Amino acid sequence: MIFRLDVTSGEPLFAQLAAQARLAMLRGELRPGERLPAARELAEALDVNMHTVLHAYQELRDEGLVELRRGRGAVVAGRPPAELDAVQDAVAALVRAARSAHLSATTTTTLVQEAFQR
Amino acid sequence: MTTTPRPDRFPAPNLRPETPAPEGWRRHARATALWSGGIALALLVAAALVAASWADELPDPVATHWSGSGGPDGFSSLGGAIAVGLGVGALCVVVFSAITWFWGRAASTRRIMASTTIWLAGLVSLALVGMLDQQRGLADAHEAGSVGGVVLLAVLLPLLPAAAAALLVHPDPPLPATTAVAADARRTALRPDERAAWVGRATGRALPAVVLGSTIVVVAVAVASQLWFLLAVAVLLLVLLLSMGAFHVRVSASGLTVRSVFGWPRTTVPADEVERADVVQVSPTRDFGGYGWRLGREGRTGIVVRAGEALEVTRTGGRRLVVTVDDAADAAALLNTMAERARAAR
Repeated sequence: MIFRLDVTSGEPLFAQLAAQARLAMLRGELRPGERLPAARELAEALDVNMHTVLHAYQELRDEGLVELRRGRGAVVAGRPPAELDAVQDAVAALVRAARSAHLSATTTTTLVQEAFQR
Repeated sequence: MTTTPRPDRFPAPNLRPETPAPEGWRRHARATALWSGGIALALLVAAALVAASWADELPDPVATHWSGSGGPDGFSSLGGAIAVGLGVGALCVVVFSAITWFWGRAASTRRIMASTTIWLAGLVSLALVGMLDQQRGLADAHEAGSVGGVVLLAVLLPLLPAAAAALLVHPDPPLPATTAVAADARRTALRPDERAAWVGRATGRALPAVVLGSTIVVVAVAVASQLWFLLAVAVLLLVLLLSMGAFHVRVSASGLTVRSVFGWPRTTVPADEVERADVVQVSPTRDFGGYGWRLGREGRTGIVVRAGEALEVTRTGGRRLVVTVDDAADAAALLNTMAERARAAR
């Protein structure tokens, strides 16, 4: 999979990496038992500090999505892929509604985040 | 980029302005073929001369083959033994040098071929001289002792000059592409400020299976025949093959990096030398004659650990590199995009 970083966005770099790995797992692109790239290697390739990558992996571990093993790195935990269809349909509906209400993506995302925190 | 002049071995291209100078890689390929082939042939001739100088001390016929249990079981005249050694050795050297000359586009190819040429010539020379040395002063070649030590030495000792030859090979000079990345090659959509990287591994079951199989066979033969030097060969085989068994593959802003899990061998393709990257299907035996770090048809370099999906990178100077990785489509798309960025940055 391709990891991306937008250094101009306000989102912390580790959170961007964790979000992409999470999504790849949900989509089944990263399957249980598969290894995530070695932290050092991914950090070099993206020109970021290795602790940024490790921070992302630790967050995924705290969520139970990966297991961190000494010498083997981060391995995707054996969790069945989530049923995404319902969520994707709802997201499509949300985007349509947001557009017709002339809301920006940022505003819409903020609304979603607020809803999660309730 | 300036090159150090080496007036003795190369005709200066500007002496004959009517013939175009050969492409850059051909000069390096020919030079490597000449010096590696030359040194290898000199080694063989030296061994033949040393062997011939021992004519008075050697039995007639001399032993040329040993049975598994240690005693000699094949004999020939001294002239015949020298002729076979020289002939087989020279034939291999000529074939290897020809491959370097015609297909040595990439430094990695020239390195592999130069060190193989030197190693093989060293092996044949040492085997010939060593086996005859054991027989000096004997009245009858049947009394010749075991040659286990000679074989071990002949296999191991030439690894040193072979490694030196690999280091002597002229590395590929930078050769940035002058044309745009192929329009029909896939791309990754990236925002201008976005960084991206693709990290994968080339792994397969075939090579570990071959390693394990051949090691078991060699160890079994060693135990059965009590030729203990074969155990060293088994270890060597294991290290050599394992270093070709799995590779880390990485696409980033700087280009493509392929590195054995041992750290060596490794190769890089700078992003600004990528003409295009694609997904191809590889049949290891048909396309590359086997597994590992291979030389395929038309000088294509293959890092082949399994059959199937692979990333193929077409590089400046007519070089092509194939690496068997999963998710090659993502790798190819990102490499094309990074190649485009590298051109825009110039």
